[in-house]
Amino acid sequence: MDFKQNSHLHPDLLGPAAANLNPDKLLGRWINTNWETRGIAECTVARDGDDITVDITGVGEDGPIYWPTARATPLANLEEEAGQRTMAMTATFDLGFMRADTHLRINKGVFVIVLFATFLDDSGRANYLNREFFYRDA
Amino acid sequence: MSKTQYAQLSDLVEPNPVKHIDPKALLGHWINSNPDTNSIARINITEQNGKLQLQVFAVGPDGLIDWGVAPAEVFAANPASNKGAGFTCTYDFGFAEARFQAMIMKGLLVLAQFHTFKDDSKRASYFLREYYSMTHEHF
Repeated sequence: MDFKQNSHLHPDLLGPAAANLNPDKLLGRWINTNWETRGIAECTVARDGDDITVDITGVGEDGPIYWPTARATPLANLEEEAGQRTMAMTATFDLGFMRADTHLRINKGVFVIVLFATFLDDSGRANYLNREFFYRDA
Repeated sequence: MSKTQYAQLSDLVEPNPVKHIDPKALLGHWINSNPDTNSIARINITEQNGKLQLQVFAVGPDGLIDWGVAPAEVFAANPASNKGAGFTCTYDFGFAEARFQAMIMKGLLVLAQFHTFKDDSKRASYFLREYYSMTHEHF
């Protein structure tokens, strides 16, 4: 079996848990812990058949900005600290003028979105990254 | 500014084109904080001809495995900044792909890795997140 690091050979990658990743802990509506955010107001993770979808609402000048729905790629989470093994996801949002590559995961009950924004227009804005935290909408 | 497209308020910045994001804060030799890692032990980050590049050394059963050099994209902390705060990078090994999203937090490089297998081994795609310190000679 080909490998480039020891973790490529981790036995759990062939185990049933990794083969049947359960997104249940990530599903739902997540609200930004920072009510003064200038970034993402909320995020909803849902099932769509065998797929997982992610909807993000950005904070706008005149109200919410609804990003196009993205399909998530589920990932086994092998070695998260404190023995947490909740799966993680990546999702890419195509906004035309900008691409947002994200990864999403839960850390101690907090939903974390890390965003890498690449501008595709000629606005001269710097590509940038951001990390925000979300609580589950009860 | 009203014609500027944006997805969140933080995208809206005064028009002051950022011609180059300075990667200075990223450049150097980064070592994994976990001596027992089964993943990437060291990352050397350099700039060549204005482009960021990585050289990764990962832990294998018989010692470190040199992944070679790969180009990386620099990201700032906000759309008006010209200071590098993170990067993305992809290594394509043929049988697998490793994508990185990394950012500096409190002096540490936090590296998120996304591994996807393209062979018929039936291994699951997986995620890793590890911390790296820049080696230095100050103390």
